[in-house]
Order: sequence, then C-alpha cells, then structure tokens
Amino acid sequence: MSSISKPAWQKRDTGLTIRMIFSFAILTLLYLIFLSVLSYLGIGFIPIIIIASAMILAQWYFSDKIVLWSSGAKLVSKEQEPELHELIERTVARNNIPKPRIAIIETSMPNAFATGRGQKSSVIAVTRGLLQILDKEEIEGVIAHELTHIRNHDALVLTLASLFSTVAWYLMQFGFYGGMYGGYGSGGRDRNGGGMMLIILLVAMLTWVISFLIIRAISRYREFAADRGSAQMTGKPVKLANALLKISGTMKRIPTKDLRQVEGLNAFFIVPALSGSTIGNLFSTHPPVERRVQKLMEMEASMS
Amino acid sequence: MKFFSRFKKNPIALKTNSDAIFSLSSAYITLEAKLGLKNTGRCAMCIKVVDGMYFADMKEDIQRFLDASKTDFELRYRMLTDSYGYLWVIIEGKHMEDILAGVTAVGDMVEEKGFSDKLLAAIFEFGSNIDNDNNINSIQYLIYNYKRNNFYPFIPTGQKNRDTEQEMKILSAVEQEVKFEKDMTFWYPMWDLPI
Repeated sequence: MSSISKPAWQKRDTGLTIRMIFSFAILTLLYLIFLSVLSYLGIGFIPIIIIASAMILAQWYFSDKIVLWSSGAKLVSKEQEPELHELIERTVARNNIPKPRIAIIETSMPNAFATGRGQKSSVIAVTRGLLQILDKEEIEGVIAHELTHIRNHDALVLTLASLFSTVAWYLMQFGFYGGMYGGYGSGGRDRNGGGMMLIILLVAMLTWVISFLIIRAISRYREFAADRGSAQMTGKPVKLANALLKISGTMKRIPTKDLRQVEGLNAFFIVPALSGSTIGNLFSTHPPVERRVQKLMEMEASMS
Repeated sequence: MKFFSRFKKNPIALKTNSDAIFSLSSAYITLEAKLGLKNTGRCAMCIKVVDGMYFADMKEDIQRFLDASKTDFELRYRMLTDSYGYLWVIIEGKHMEDILAGVTAVGDMVEEKGFSDKLLAAIFEFGSNIDNDNNINSIQYLIYNYKRNNFYPFIPTGQKNRDTEQEMKILSAVEQEVKFEKDMTFWYPMWDLPI
C-alpha cells in the first residue's frame, strides 16, 4: 500500500499509539479495581458517581467558555485580526479541517492553546507576545500544533482520563465525611465502619495519585503527537522547533559572546546542570523542550 | 609556566581530536547532498598566542611543515594574529581530505610542543552555492572546539546576528556522522573570522 512509499517522518508513531493504549488500559483497570473495591464494601457510591459525572459533563460542556474566561482570551473577528485569520485559514484549508474560532490573550508571555468540545466548537487562543516574537512560519507551526490537538480530540481524551481522578477525588472527600460520621452501615457493621472508611480513603487517595501521574503521562505523549502532526501539516519541523526554542527562552541561551572571549573563563569543563529531574518529568504535562526539539529535528533530518 | 605547560597532560583535550576532525571527510558530502552546502576549501585554526621561545619555535615548525606540504597536498596557507591575541593558521586546499590532513598535522605539532591547551578551534567554511558563477551566497561555518572535542554550526548574518534555524538544520543533517555539540549553550560564535 501507500504506506511503503511514505517517508519515515510521515509514518504513524506506532510506539506512541501503543503507549497511549497501554496508559488507557491501566487507567481502565484501575477504575474497575476501584469500583469493585467499592461494591465489595457495599457503599452507596451511586450518588457520588452521579454528582461527579454531572460535574464532569458540565466541565466538558462549558470547557471552552471556562478556559477562555479563566485565561482572559478574547475572541477576535477577521476584521480585527486579518493576518492571523488568513494564516489559520490557509493551514486549515490545506489540511481539510474546519476553521476554529480564534482568540487573543493580551499578554506579552508567548503561549498558545486550543480548547473546545469538538472540531466545530473549538477555539485556538494565542497570546500577543507569541505573535510578536515569532515569524509567520513559526506561528504557523504553533497553530498547526494546536490544530492537531483539536483534530486528535485531546481535550476529550484528557477530560475522560481525568474523569477517573475526579471521581477518586470526590470519594476521598466523602471518605473523610464518612469517617467522621462513622459510616452508613447499619447494625453489626457499625463497629468497623470507621475502619472501612479509612480503607476507602486510602484506596481513593492511591488511585487519585496514580491516575494523576498517568494523566500527566498521556498529556506528554499528546504533545509529541501534536508536534508530529504540526510538522506533517506544515512540512517544516524546524519552524516549530525554532518557535519552541523561542517560546521557552532557550533561544536566549544560545551565546552571542565570542568564543575567544569566553575561552579564559574555563567554561568548557563545567558539567552542565541536570536538565529537569525525573521527578519533575513525572509531574509535568509537557515534555522538556529539548526532547521535543530533538524529535522535530529527527523528522527534519529524515525529510531531507 | 610555559616550561611546565610542556609536561602537562590534558586527558580531555587529547587523543580523539584527529578522529573527531576526520569524521568531516564523510560529513561534508552529507552536507552537500542534504543541504546543498559546499565546502569552500578554506579552514582556519585558532591558537592562543603565548609569549616566548617555545611558541615561536612551534610557529616556525608549522610554517616549515606547511611550506613543505604545498606541493604534496596542494595546500596554501597564511598566518596572522588577531586583536584577541590569537594566532590564526588559515589553510586553503582543493580537497577536503588534504585540508583535514593539514589541520590534524598542525594540531599534532601544537600538541607535541605542549600547547594543546592553547588550541581553541578549527573552523571549516561552507557556502550554499546556488548559481554557477561561483558566487557563494551564504557563508556557513562548522566550528570544531578542541576543548569540548566536538563540532557546532555557526552562521553569522550581519552584525552579531546568527541564523539559528539554519544552524539547527546543519545539526540535524550531520549529527549522526560527526561528534556534535548537543548543548546549544556552547555554540559560541566567532565574529569577524579572518578566513
């Protein structure tokens, strides 16, 4: 089939897909274990689930509004920002995806995000700072990254993934209250009700922590996927790499001082500081910029 | 100090210099194939000048060697001292292999005289030669840092600006073939090269 003739950078990242499926499998498994523990203990968890689901649904339904409101992003019309609109229109037209709404955040910090329930209701927000420091092709790379997030339904994926941790979170709270009031049990179960609650509390806490970490991991893989998608859309991974370096401030760390001037400073034997510890990696939602740039440059290399 | 520096062994800087530099003999073909970059045949070595007899001796040795290899390797050379107090040995040749042989030989001579820690960099010049009139459109450099024992790209654009994007393209094109500096904070520029 056509996949044989495709260059390496266009192929699907199978490893990524496998990791994603694996993460979800673990998440589902945890969910099932958690539920079975609950039902074993005979706790009326249905009301809790209902409340949690309602919360998540609401969060899901209003997600774009919540995000836009909390970030202070303002939707802009084509008349207000013709250049940005045209740039995005060109990208979506080339890749046959519906045009998202566009918002701008009036801050000098360079950043961008995508939000929304589906392709039609989605919004791409960029900061004024991003538009100022990046050139057109770099902005295109960032926009394509966000468009890939939308196309891949990453908001939905992460909301579903966090459903579990949210439920666990509510149960932890109910566990606290339950512990205080001595449980729901009747008759003979009253005596060890507190102990049961403690177990539920511990299980809930544990599941919450684990699912929190897994969500973070999924999020990081989605970033790599979006970088990849962006490179495929624009065909210029180096532009996105450049944009990432600029946004993260790494660009500033590329020296401007002459080698002959720094030679005497013995700068060459200093062991470089560890870039991000493993613990830091576990908790972050985005992979380190160096790794992302490296992956993009690998794509660049396989293209030429 | 000069005297003792002769006996000083610098385990980090030594040994693999020649190997690392010779890896360019295949990488320059890759640069041409992937990015259309042609080696201009010019290369410069940058050595910190030390006052005294030993350094002057070494300089003479290098001159004698390069004079002698003019015919064998088809190498031309010139020497100058810049405002930073560095001796530049600028070597020009027709074939990359000859240039690399010349550079590594000079490097060896510097090391033999005990000045290995004075070797700063070897700069190889490339250009994207699009038209056939031999006009070099953009000058791009690969800098070999003796102390870090690796290469990094340097593309000056105008006054103290550099084209980081093209530099990253060079990185991605040849990072498999040559020992490359992955830490961009070591990509020190060298402005106003006398090449």
